[in-house]
Formats: sequence, C-alpha cells, structure tokens
Amino acid sequence: MKSYYDRPLLKGPHWGSNVVTYLFLGGIMGGLGLISLLSDDRPEPEMKKLRKATRYTAFALAAINPPILISHLGRPERFLNMLRIVKFKSPMSLGVWGLVLYSGAAGANALRELADDGVVPRMLRFVAPSATVPIQALLGAFMAGYTGVLISATAIPLWAAGKRHIPAFSVCSGAASASALATLLSTLQGNHDVIPRLERLEMAAAALEIALVADFRKRGGAVTAPLFEGRVGKRLRDFTIIGGIVVPFALNAIGGAFKLPKSIDALRSIAASTLTLVGGYVLRESLIEAGKLSANDPHVAFRQPS
Amino acid sequence: MATGFFTDATLCIGCKACEVACKQWNELPSDGFEFTGNSYDNTSQLSGTTWRHVDFVERESIDESGITASWSMLSDVCKHCTNAGCLEACPTGAIVRNEFGSVFVQPDICNGCGYCVVSCPFGVIDLIEAVGNGDDAGKYALATLHEDRLNDRKTAVQATGGVAGKCTLCYDRQRIGMVPACAKACPTESIQFGEIEELRERAKHRVETLLERGVDARLYGADDVGGGIGALNAFFLLTDSPEAYNLPVEPVLPSTRQAMGYAAAAAAALALATVGWAIFRGDGTDA
Ligand code: SF4
Ligand code: SF4
Repeated sequence: MKSYYDRPLLKGPHWGSNVVTYLFLGGIMGGLGLISLLSDDRPEPEMKKLRKATRYTAFALAAINPPILISHLGRPERFLNMLRIVKFKSPMSLGVWGLVLYSGAAGANALRELADDGVVPRMLRFVAPSATVPIQALLGAFMAGYTGVLISATAIPLWAAGKRHIPAFSVCSGAASASALATLLSTLQGNHDVIPRLERLEMAAAALEIALVADFRKRGGAVTAPLFEGRVGKRLRDFTIIGGIVVPFALNAIGGAFKLPKSIDALRSIAASTLTLVGGYVLRESLIEAGKLSANDPHVAFRQPS
Repeated sequence: MATGFFTDATLCIGCKACEVACKQWNELPSDGFEFTGNSYDNTSQLSGTTWRHVDFVERESIDESGITASWSMLSDVCKHCTNAGCLEACPTGAIVRNEFGSVFVQPDICNGCGYCVVSCPFGVIDLIEAVGNGDDAGKYALATLHEDRLNDRKTAVQATGGVAGKCTLCYDRQRIGMVPACAKACPTESIQFGEIEELRERAKHRVETLLERGVDARLYGADDVGGGIGALNAFFLLTDSPEAYNLPVEPVLPSTRQAMGYAAAAAAALALATVGWAIFRGDGTDA
C-alpha cells in the first residue's frame, strides 16, 4: 500500500485528561437532567429527596465543569471568545452555549429547591418557573450527546466512522453514570427506597450502551481497531465493557431479583455504582486515546469515512 | 477575486527555498532537528510553525533495462479549501475567509481549543506551543530568530503561542500587493501564485502538455475533490497517486456527519427517557 514513508496524514487531538473529565462530567450532567425530570412533582418522599439531590448535584457539576473546559485551552484567558458567536456548524460552539444554558436551567432548579427548603427567601421561587425542569432535561440530553457528535464530526477516521454509534452510546453512558452517582448519593442520604428505580434505569442505559458499542465494533471494521485492540482496547474491555457494564448490570440484576440483607445490599449497590462511574470515565478516555492512534495511521485516512 | 497557489511537482527541484522563505517572512521557529532517513526530508510534515513542506517521493521501477530510480518533489501547503473543515469547526470565529478567498486564522481571537486541528481533512493546521516564553524558550532551535531579537520585541509566534497556526497565503504581503514569500522564492516557478481561475486554466494546459510528452500528470484539487469540500484554492499537479504525497484520495468535510450524529443522540435520549418514564412514573399514580 502506497504512503509517504508511513508518516501520519492527519494531526491527532491535543486533548488530555481535562477534556476526558469534561466529557465524563458533561454526560453525568445530562443524565441528572433526566432524573430530575423523572422525579419531578411526585408525592412519594423518596422521590422528593432524589429530586433535590439531583438538582443540587447538577448545579454543582455545572459550576465545576467550565473551569475544567477552560483549563485545556492554549489561551485560557480567551475562553470568552467562544461566546462571541453562535455557530450551528460547530458542535464545539453549540456545546459551549449548551453548557451555559444548562447551567442557567440547573441554577434555576437548584434555586427553587433552596427556596422550598427555606435556605433562601421563598419569594425567589418565582424567579425560577417550573418550566426549567423539562428545559434542563432537554439541554441535558444535548450535553450528553453533543460531545459524541463533536468528535464524530472530525477527520479522525475512528471517530468519523462512529457517527451513528458514538453520539448514541455517549448518551447511554451519561445516563448510566448519572444513575450510578444518584444511587451513591441516595445511599449516603439513607434514601434506600428510591435505589431500585435508579438501578433499573442504570440497567436499561447499560444494556443499550453495550449493544451500541458491540455494533460499532462489528460494523466499523479495521477503522475501529485502535479502540478495541491493543493497550486501549484492553483497558476498555477491562474497565468499561466488563467492569463498567457487565459486572454492575449483574450486580443490579441480583439486587432486583433477591432480597439481600440490608448491609450486603448496600455494599452491592455501592460497588455497582462505583464500577459504572469508572467505566464511564474509561470509555471517554479510551475514545480520546484511540483517536490519537487512529490519526497516526495514514492508510485509514486516505479514504475518509463518509 | 480569489487568489491561490498552483504547485507543480514536475518543476520542483527540492531546494526548500519556499520552506525557508516562509519561515523567515512569518518569523516561524524551527520545529527542531530530527534525522528521519526519509530521503532528503527532515521536516516531515506541515505543522503550526511549518507552513510549506517539501515532500521527497522516491520511486523505483524495474524492467528489462534495469532499475530506474526517480524522485518526485512537491511543496505541500494549506489547501485553502472552498468548504474548509477548520473554518467550520472553529468556535471562536477566529478562522475566517478573507478578501482574497483564503482561510485565515486571526491569531488574536483564537483561544487554542484545538478543534480545528482534528477537523482538517488534510492534516494541515496545528497548535503552536507557546514558544519563546519563559522556560519554553530553550526548547526550540530558533533557526531564524536571533537571541537579541527575541528579547527586543515579540515575534509573530511569540505573540501568538498557544494558538493554531497554518499558512495565511501571506495575507500581509497580499494586502500590500506583494507575492507570497514561497512563490517569490521558488526558483523554478513550481509554486505559482495568482488569480485562481487563471491558475486553473494554466494548470489544465500544463497537464495536456505533459500528457503529450508521456508524463503521468494529474491535477489534485483544481476541481472539486469530493466529500463536500469543493475545489482547493491551493491545488497541485502530481505525477503519482495522492497517497504518495501524503494527500487523501477521498477527503471528507467533517461537518457533513453532524446531522446523523445529532439524530442518533436524540434517538438514544428518547429511548432512555421513555424507559425512565415507565420506571419512575409508570405506576399510574402520576401526581
Ligand atoms: S487544508 Fe485544512 S487547514 Fe487548510 S483550509 Fe482546508 S481544512 Fe483548513
Ligand atoms: S484552536 Fe483557535 S482557530 Fe482552532 S478551532 Fe480553536 S479557536 Fe478556532
């Protein structure tokens, strides 16, 4: 096969662990938006507790994620240049606006809970209409998915070949990680009654995620090798596929099927949630690292995926 | 009126005057010295601080007359695409199309997010490390900059470290009616600068002449390269397949994949929301 001394044709991403963290937390923010909607306005006390926990957490994440994003820039002091324009053709531009709007909606929802709890004057409740709940959920879906679109809409062959799969399994991974985080928080709060529901949501997201990842591997062919083979592939298999999806799914299934003693059940649930979160992080990390490897192979870049 | 480059591999003698002239005019530092062993090419690729790069393609053919070896040299550069992946991707609007039809990175707007880097189907644009600043200063072999100049005033790159860099088609020179530095320095007119329509005419004529003489000549980018990119404002005449010069055979404009991506994400989100609704609120006691 012809090439120019096997030199890379493309330039790989300069992105490191701060970008991976941003993608991971962005996915969780997205999933929390959904859980906040699902638990909205319900009479059960456990749902009320869950609702508050997700809203406070989503707001906290919305506060810490922008600095993480900014830290990866070559010129961090020019972050605000991203807010000069709205560019529909650039997922990076839309994503930043999505983050800003999500933060607004998450802030409004957190404020309403604070007003309910009497931490801030009740009056402030009216500043935050309840319409912000579905809005946060919609923007959340965008937050979890756009990062997948962002990497697929590049020249990197592995990412480009995943234009159908990567955005979809990013959403699933975000939802599973958010359910896992909410489960951990509920365990801490002693809000045990809500955990079975969260675990079922997590199982649904994990099932769809693994089906999509498997399909990507099957259809993607040689282009997907950097993600599924070698060092990156091994890490993805150990920490995401097995450790982050299959094992937690089994643990959650056991929890749903059998009535375990309380303390053992709590341990089971904590283990499943932690593994899911680790798997979610490693999925994003593997995507970025495999993208770097994919960029180095000129042969797959000569004919770029449509 | 759009201007551009027509770079002709059959005229290139591999002198690298274009690489040097570009570095000098734009005050770009060396990327360091690496002995590659790949023919006479030790700069290897275009980068944030190397905006012209001469490919040295070595070919061997064996027939009854014995082994014949030949070289084909070509000066590669940013293609200044009709539909540019880098320009579309840039979230700050730093990358614009200027009055000469060239794709230009405004160094004072770019915040170094790096999204253009992965969005160029030709692997051209790259981030420039913050060079010449503090501890980084010694990291680079500053081929074209004297120490005292470094201290005296900020060079272009010093002022713009941490941002994306690529060929500007000598925007500054064009504005005062000068020919881009590389084209000016090229001793064989392998690099021709001019109005794009006129260059295309000239190129087509040149290919006909070469084919008549039995030279395997073909144009790359004079017409639409496919994949939604359109024609290239910097196009090439090759004597081998594009891969031999590290050019993609089928480049694709990355933004064409977005609609499918958003649709896939929306479908997954809808599926999970439906299942979630059934799990959390499907017991008929909706408040
Ligand atoms: S070749 Fe790459 S850097 Fe140059 S205009 Fe096209 S997309 Fe941009
Ligand atoms: S690195 Fe600079 S030029 Fe490239 S996309 Fe980001 S802001 Fe735009």
